[in-house]
Amino acid sequence: MTDWLLWFTRFENSKVVALLLFFTTFCAILVYLYTGRKRAERLESYKYMPLQDDEPDLNAEHGGEKENESDKN
Amino acid sequence: MGQAGTGSIQQYNYDIIKKFAVMALVWGLLGMATGVYIASELAWPFLNFDIPQITFGRLRPVHTTLVIFGFGGSALFATSYYVVQRTCQTRLYSDWMAVFTFWGWQAAVALGAVSYMFGYTQSREYAEFEWPIDLIILVTWVVYFTLYIQTIRRRSQPHIYVANWFYIAFILVIALLHIFNNLAVPVGLFSMKSYSLFSGVQDAMTQWWYGHNAVGFFLTAAFLGMMYYFVPKQAGRPVYSYRLSIVHFWALAFLYMWVGAHHLHWTALPDWTSTLAATFSIMLLLPSWGGMINGIMTLSGAWEKLRTDPIMLFLITSLSFYGMSTFEGPLMSLKSVNALSHYTDWTIGHVHSGALGWVAMVTFGSFYHMVPRLYDTRIYSTRLIYLHFWLATIGIVLYITSMWVAGIVQGLMLRSFDDYGNLSYTFVESVAFLHKPYVWRALGGLFFVSGVAVMVFNMFMTIRRSRSEAAELEARIAAKMARA
Amino acid sequence: MIKHESIETNAALLVILTLIVVSIGGLVEIVPLFYIDDTVEDVEGVRPYTALELRGRDIYQREGCYLCHSQMIRPFRDELLRYGHYSLAAESQYDHPFQWGSKRTGPDLARVGGKYSNAWHVAHLNNPRDVVPQSIMPNYPWLLQTDLDYSDIQERMRALKRTGVPYSETQQEYDANVAEFGAAAADQLDILHAEENLMHQALTEDYDGQRGRITEMDALVAYLQVLGTMVDFSKYDEGYFADFR
Repeated sequence: MTDWLLWFTRFENSKVVALLLFFTTFCAILVYLYTGRKRAERLESYKYMPLQDDEPDLNAEHGGEKENESDKN
Repeated sequence: MGQAGTGSIQQYNYDIIKKFAVMALVWGLLGMATGVYIASELAWPFLNFDIPQITFGRLRPVHTTLVIFGFGGSALFATSYYVVQRTCQTRLYSDWMAVFTFWGWQAAVALGAVSYMFGYTQSREYAEFEWPIDLIILVTWVVYFTLYIQTIRRRSQPHIYVANWFYIAFILVIALLHIFNNLAVPVGLFSMKSYSLFSGVQDAMTQWWYGHNAVGFFLTAAFLGMMYYFVPKQAGRPVYSYRLSIVHFWALAFLYMWVGAHHLHWTALPDWTSTLAATFSIMLLLPSWGGMINGIMTLSGAWEKLRTDPIMLFLITSLSFYGMSTFEGPLMSLKSVNALSHYTDWTIGHVHSGALGWVAMVTFGSFYHMVPRLYDTRIYSTRLIYLHFWLATIGIVLYITSMWVAGIVQGLMLRSFDDYGNLSYTFVESVAFLHKPYVWRALGGLFFVSGVAVMVFNMFMTIRRSRSEAAELEARIAAKMARA
Repeated sequence: MIKHESIETNAALLVILTLIVVSIGGLVEIVPLFYIDDTVEDVEGVRPYTALELRGRDIYQREGCYLCHSQMIRPFRDELLRYGHYSLAAESQYDHPFQWGSKRTGPDLARVGGKYSNAWHVAHLNNPRDVVPQSIMPNYPWLLQTDLDYSDIQERMRALKRTGVPYSETQQEYDANVAEFGAAAADQLDILHAEENLMHQALTEDYDGQRGRITEMDALVAYLQVLGTMVDFSKYDEGYFADFR
């Protein structure tokens, strides 16, 4: 019955075992990431993180000139 | 998020980033100039001038150390401190720790370069630092890790942005590599000399496990962290796919650590190890290109930016070179190709298409984005950025094509036989052939380093102008106060 | 359900998982090399360096020779004709660190020992273009002018002994070396007599051609002349070494 399990314990099969293990993990990650619309939306929503701290940048790009103009008036 | 607005400049520790950014430029200019000099020594050997300290063998580690650890390392410290603060929206955990990493790192780079010139070297490529400097690096690195993690732990964002994962992987792996590859027994407490703990085949494997993963995590993963922040920021749009970045990160971290032994094909290293490394090198193409696509496609729908924004030009070109050299790498890791390419200048060309094309270009792009923001001003000259871009690109093209010619032709010459089964060429005939490619290579390097000089000038003027702007503003406020 | 978010929001988990993922490759490829017996071939003749050769090797490292010269011949026909039998792992088993190199701007040196005379090496190191006009190697004139410093030779050998190189300090260790390498070699591996051995070898062989003086040139040439000469390949059948690959 469980004889086939012994196959996994033999050293000469370690390469195939490792390959199966790693490849299954890889597939599981892919399936997890690319199935489910909700999960997709949720995960993709995190990509906006670096764009959420823009206020100081606006100063850098436009603030300088405006400041000059208002000063002249 | 709530914390922006007034006082946002003080909210972050920009001072330490400015320090590292300036040193990155200083080391970059010095290290690349050294590179041009040693390239010239190979073309015109009289340039060694019979001075021990500047012969090729002693200056070559100076070049690699200054560009990898001086330029690349300082750029990584600078951008990682910038990215971790901005994406976590919190100040660095500790100011003194940040300053400590600055002085520790600069001391290690400077002492390393000087010690090689005076003949103190472990003779392990890219790990030539002798043991006392290794200890300085170790302490600095532990402080860096603590500071980085503690900053992340006090973030006001719930999530850790993907750029930080790459920086974390880089810090962890470099710690591992540094410790195990530098295990050595010093000759004495007051002697700079040490002997490595391992010998022969085990030592070779450890060194190239280090050597290739220094490329993988110092020069790739960390700069991918840079890419994941600065490309979206400069494009003003989020990264192409967050899910792709998850696959990219885990696959890259896992696969890279297997491939070092492809530097030891056909050597006394057992076949099983180098075959395994070659197999993983091929697989590594996938996450590498996944990352490249993720970066380039960020611009999808906004390609016109390439026409108007030279910073974007730098970033996208760097990704293209990344794609090219991560294709060339697996190709060269095939045993049949490696039989020809190994020991020749093809390898040198490959390294530089990655180092100049990817690492340096993505750093230039990120710096042109970051430095004006650090100083709350605009860049001094956009036209000079264009000039830098073209100097750099022409330099790289000259460099890698001359090295392809040098490497492939030398490889073919050395393995060619005449009709009687004798070798067609002596070794020194192949050396004589290399003269012209070496001259072209030195010229390419000269183009590249002139580009860096233009950048340094542009940055210097930007910083100087920001100072005068600040002074002017202060004067105006003072005048208003006086009138009131 | 495990979510990727739990990793992204937990710095400690991210660190631990990353450490696990990056450790696997190195563990699988490096650790077995220390335990699989076939990794280093079983051959006779390979011995640790003498005191003078060791100092020569230090100078070889100091000058960065490994950046342009490999010491690892690959099993190809052109390399066999040009350099000799391919390199064995056993031949660098006492090399701390290994000097296999990664680039041949100059030729491989794994079997350069005995190929040229001492006088040729001295002339070549002093100014390579005197003997090879197209050479691009730097001159090393200071090797002939600098007296060899061997004041800390015993400390150097002790440090190597700590890494596992069988230099002897006790009678017992000496006897073991006699059994392993023969009496003549065992004498050279004795740390307590390192200085006299070094002086004796340098003065009798007179590598640098400067009688009565021991220079860095003596040490470096002594090292170059021993490279690749330790294994007698005529003792082994073709194919014997292939079994280890």
